Amino acid sequence: MRATPPSPAALICQMRRGGLSQRERRQNQPLSLGKRGRGEGAALFSTRTGVALAIVFVASIAVAQIRTQPASASVLELLVKWTPLLATGFLFNLLISFFAMVVGTASGLLLAFARISPRRSLRGTSWIVVQFFRNAPWLVLLFFVMYLLPFQFRLGSVTIPFPDWIKATLGLALPIMANVAEIVRGAVQSIPTAQWDAARSLAFSRRQTLWKIILPQCVKRMLPPWMNWYAILTMATTLASIVGVSEVMTITLRITNAEGRTDLLIPIYSYVLLWFFLYCYPISRWTRRLEARYGQR
Amino acid sequence: MKMVREWLRFFAIAALTLAFGAPAAAQSDTLASVKQKGKIVVGVKADYKPFGYTDPSGKIVGLEIDLANDVAKRMGVQIELVPVIAANRMEFLKQGRIDLMIATMAYKPDRAEVVGIPQPFYYAGAANVFAKKSSGLKAWADLKGKPICAIQGAYYNRRTGEEFGANLVVFKGVTEAMAALEAGNCVGTVFDTTYFAGIMSDPKWADYAMVLPSIDPEPWGVGVRKEDTKFAAYMSDVIKDWHKTGYILELEKKWGIPQSPFLVEQQAKNK
Repeated sequence: MRATPPSPAALICQMRRGGLSQRERRQNQPLSLGKRGRGEGAALFSTRTGVALAIVFVASIAVAQIRTQPASASVLELLVKWTPLLATGFLFNLLISFFAMVVGTASGLLLAFARISPRRSLRGTSWIVVQFFRNAPWLVLLFFVMYLLPFQFRLGSVTIPFPDWIKATLGLALPIMANVAEIVRGAVQSIPTAQWDAARSLAFSRRQTLWKIILPQCVKRMLPPWMNWYAILTMATTLASIVGVSEVMTITLRITNAEGRTDLLIPIYSYVLLWFFLYCYPISRWTRRLEARYGQR
Repeated sequence: MKMVREWLRFFAIAALTLAFGAPAAAQSDTLASVKQKGKIVVGVKADYKPFGYTDPSGKIVGLEIDLANDVAKRMGVQIELVPVIAANRMEFLKQGRIDLMIATMAYKPDRAEVVGIPQPFYYAGAANVFAKKSSGLKAWADLKGKPICAIQGAYYNRRTGEEFGANLVVFKGVTEAMAALEAGNCVGTVFDTTYFAGIMSDPKWADYAMVLPSIDPEPWGVGVRKEDTKFAAYMSDVIKDWHKTGYILELEKKWGIPQSPFLVEQQAKNK
């Protein structure tokens, strides 16, 4: 894809900013990093949503309580009885979200370096990778990874098991990787290019400039969108139920089937919803505090 | 041109990854490998009461789990249960994640092409519609244009919708479908007779019944790896013995399932 010759305005701009190669200039605009610092993840987790959720939960229990037949156990008792099992399921959601974020961030960072590399072939390839994983539906990626990877590896005589939830983690890490790459690239490009030139004139190598000068300044800008992605990822971990991982949604389905109680459905699903809210809400609050603080500067 | 080359390179790398990442072929001699490991891994349902479901401690219990335990006992090995769903049970078997599948799987010719299904079958279910006795439904043709609740992945859904013209409202779990039936969102629920048989004793469903003649009787088979004929033969003998001794009939009693005519018939046949 050859670009048209740069316009006069772009040339002037280039002269003024100088330094960086033309290729680097031609890249996309940096991502907007949440203008006033209100990502989509953050808006979902307002205090008001929390109160509404709690009301729905309590009301659903009350309604179920009235409709329950006298001889059978009350819905509240059932919820208490199954809470330990639900908690083990929820633990998987947290583990999946945590490790997917770690893997996604590490690989996303590498991918971002490829995206801003001076080498054209590397930039092109990484662009394709980023576009692919940002735009593929998460569930499709999940299915792909679930059925493609073996359930165990053999290293010599040792067999290393490779359980389902780790496969799900890898599947969810892929879109996170691509999105983190874009966050990092956007943040790097939002740093004035004059700093690159200044660093070069002080005989910093490209790697030193990136690690010692540019990235430290980026951390502040990247943190809020990165935490937003974590909240989104946490909610997306329930997708793993579709491929049979024993996480909280799978467990919920098993519980409703074991009890066979139709009046349990709304209470138990709002109960699970409340758990997710309680986990994501502090993260979201913290994100917004950070955004506000860094927004002022 | 350059772009094309880069695409090619991307696909080449992707293809290589796939080739090397492909799972090692599962052992084709399950009997030997199970004996050597000292453990058999059985795929079972964890969301199909009373055949395989979860208790509050997270343990999977049910009729099919008893069957799986019996197989392990006969082989003299430990057992590991892996919960499976309809979407992954055959894949797990092929991959070698599980050695044996006892997971409410109805026999279908296209399934038998993917996994080995040793005969005789150990159980049989059929499809019926659970509705209010006063619903006036008498024949399958009466469903035409009526909303009918169904559960994802049941093989008779297609027939109910296409041949009999019911408006299917499909749910992920059977409890959701039953809640919709109770709330009046559909006139009936189409599902396995084995499931309805289990809930009929509940006073909540006193006004309801299986109102139509059962269709599509489908025998349930255990699954083994397709190429492993030795293990299939072994399982055939085990199932024959289950029928001969009336073991599954006993288990039906234990789990509160009404006696199935299929089992009585099989017992007479295998005596």
